[in-house]
Amino acid sequence: MSTAAEMKVGEMALITDINNDHPSSHRILEIGFTPGQTIELLYVPVFNDPLAFAIRGTIIAIRKNEASCIIIQLQ
Amino acid sequence: MHNNTTSIKKTEPLIALIGQPNSGKTTLYNYLSGKKAKTVNYPGSTVQYSISRILSKHHVNANILDSPGIISLVPYSPDEEVSVNSLYSHPEFGNPDIVIVTVDTSQLSRHLFLVKQLIESNFNVIIVLTMNDILEKKGYEVSDLQLSNILGCCVVKFDGRNGKGLEQLLTKVKERIEVLNSKTEETAPVIQYITSRGRLLESFKNIEDIESKIIIDKRKGKNGTSDLSKKIENINENLSVLNNRRPYVKPDEFTIKLDKILLHKFWGLIIFFLIMAVTFSSIFWLTQPLMDIISTGFGWLSDFAGNTMGENLFSDLISKGIINGIGSVMVFLPQIVILFLIMELLEDSGYLARGAMLVDRPLSKIGLNGRSFVPMLSGFACAIPATMAARTIANKRERFLTIFILPLMTCSARIPVYALLIGFLTPKSKPWLGGIYFATIYIVTIIMSLIVGAVMNKFGAKLVTEKDNSSFILELPAYRKPKFIFSLKNTARNAKQYIKKAGPVILVLSLVIWFMTTFPNYDPDIKNVPKDSTGQVSSDKLSQYKDAERLSTSYAAYLGKFMEPVMKPMGFDWRIGVSLVATFAAREVFVSSLALIFKVTDEDESNLQNSLISAMRDAKVGNTDRKLFTTATTIGLIVFFMFAMQCLSTTAIARKETGSWRIPILQIVVFTLAAYILTVVVVNGLRAAGVE
Repeated sequence: MSTAAEMKVGEMALITDINNDHPSSHRILEIGFTPGQTIELLYVPVFNDPLAFAIRGTIIAIRKNEASCIIIQLQ
Repeated sequence: MHNNTTSIKKTEPLIALIGQPNSGKTTLYNYLSGKKAKTVNYPGSTVQYSISRILSKHHVNANILDSPGIISLVPYSPDEEVSVNSLYSHPEFGNPDIVIVTVDTSQLSRHLFLVKQLIESNFNVIIVLTMNDILEKKGYEVSDLQLSNILGCCVVKFDGRNGKGLEQLLTKVKERIEVLNSKTEETAPVIQYITSRGRLLESFKNIEDIESKIIIDKRKGKNGTSDLSKKIENINENLSVLNNRRPYVKPDEFTIKLDKILLHKFWGLIIFFLIMAVTFSSIFWLTQPLMDIISTGFGWLSDFAGNTMGENLFSDLISKGIINGIGSVMVFLPQIVILFLIMELLEDSGYLARGAMLVDRPLSKIGLNGRSFVPMLSGFACAIPATMAARTIANKRERFLTIFILPLMTCSARIPVYALLIGFLTPKSKPWLGGIYFATIYIVTIIMSLIVGAVMNKFGAKLVTEKDNSSFILELPAYRKPKFIFSLKNTARNAKQYIKKAGPVILVLSLVIWFMTTFPNYDPDIKNVPKDSTGQVSSDKLSQYKDAERLSTSYAAYLGKFMEPVMKPMGFDWRIGVSLVATFAAREVFVSSLALIFKVTDEDESNLQNSLISAMRDAKVGNTDRKLFTTATTIGLIVFFMFAMQCLSTTAIARKETGSWRIPILQIVVFTLAAYILTVVVVNGLRAAGVE
């Protein structure tokens, strides 16, 4: 089972689940990272954190730590 | 602040403007709000929203309330809490009669999420669809009619670039108001929204259904998303495991291309530093000439007033007390305006969010957050709005630590002080050295604030006892060309607010210092004035001696001499001491109080600053021949100003924003002690090294 934190730039993935135990999971859902959505890792800045994902027509930067609660299936 | 809001009639309908961050909300507010828009956010008030009557030319009698963007009705950070509270329980106006919610059509599903929550809470909602051009570039269009039918509320399309759609929106608002006025029965009460994971997922599912019904593929004239989803499903058919797989909507193409450079691992960082360098150097290069003009203007005005009214107490009060006092308020206006304007432009273009993202990692290493970036940047204008800007940081510990280090940022009040001291240090033959000195101060300040932050984070475990989740979730909005006129409008609003709040304090303090340096011995008896060659006592000489005698027997002198033992290790005498005591209320008082104490009038120099500098060059320690202002003591003064916590307003706002005295008291103790010790070390170190 892989998470969005392990994605490489340019990869696309399908969100299959959001880990409920993560303290940010509710906010992650609210901003649109819901199961069934396709995301793309667009950029990783020089310090390798946070990660910028394309989601629902916009770009959202989240920390690796937060990306680790997004369960994905690579496309 | 209450007297400010009297023009807002409570009997008139209240419209709340709500929207997700970057949904075009503020642009719409700028179109709707009149000149008298008020940001209710400075010390003394507990709220931070902007309220205004709708522009009279629109012929709608209603008030409009703007507040920070929110993602859902369940707040996450203190700034979101302000917005959500304003919806449910505005202390003065109650529930809004109408809620206008802005929705970015290029990311419809995310933004309809908030709309649904508002409708489910029984608010009277009008939807404004923005950024239609971005969607159209992709070849799609939203059917506002369909959306209106499905959700059962008004929907208006609006173009933030030219204001198209504003008329239609106002018509809808008028209609709604008329309906409200004619209604006799009770409207459905507003209910507090509660979310759970299940309700949230259900809501998104519902929105996605709506979305597929209202997005039209303009090229084919049929529903676009279902078509798009088919395309993606064809590509990934064998990978599809979920029945509810949604189509992938690509963000704005131009933004993706530009970010390839601006968020590039190497170039992204270079560009970030370039932008910061340009921002800070423009503060210096652009503001210095403007500050000179203001300083010269007020110096001339003070002279003119003094000369016309003759030599009496009243003339002295006007020219030295009041005019110089006002001058010291106005002199740092250019910096406030320019920094706020640059920040406004960076924010509106979409770059500021990228900056926050780039620095998140290094800042999080020392207990701060990427979101600390914007407060820290505005700290270079003024720590007061900066402290409030820290509200966007959800984590309490990170927010408090950010607030803690903000007073170290080189705020505009320090600029006149540095300008004077650097002016003193810079030889006339090498004026370019001034810029380098300024840059050095900025760089040292930034490094020191990060060190202080790291140390506090390491040892100040009691800063905040509870440990909550540290997070960084930030939308990187599509790049847009900023609307310059609105950026100017917001900047003017900020500057006005600043003058209104800081102005009176500084003016009063200037008057207090004038009083303390003038009394009790206003008209001293001078006996042994040396006669000149003609055997006469010239009136110039006499008044010079009177000035000196009056000052050395003044209240200020008593106070200064009382604390001279504390000042001595830093190489300062009672005159600098008195000025420093005054600066603990507000830093910018330093220049005007020095001018008062050294009785500077710009007789032979072009402006106040230059004549003050020459007075400083002549100043001696006590009755000796030793110079008071040397390279060592001047650098010492700069070091003192870099650290000392000398701003009552910041202390007040830090108390308010952190909810206790712990942070503000810690700031005063830590920063002032650090300032004192470092100044003593620097001055004596320089002297030991042979620098006088």
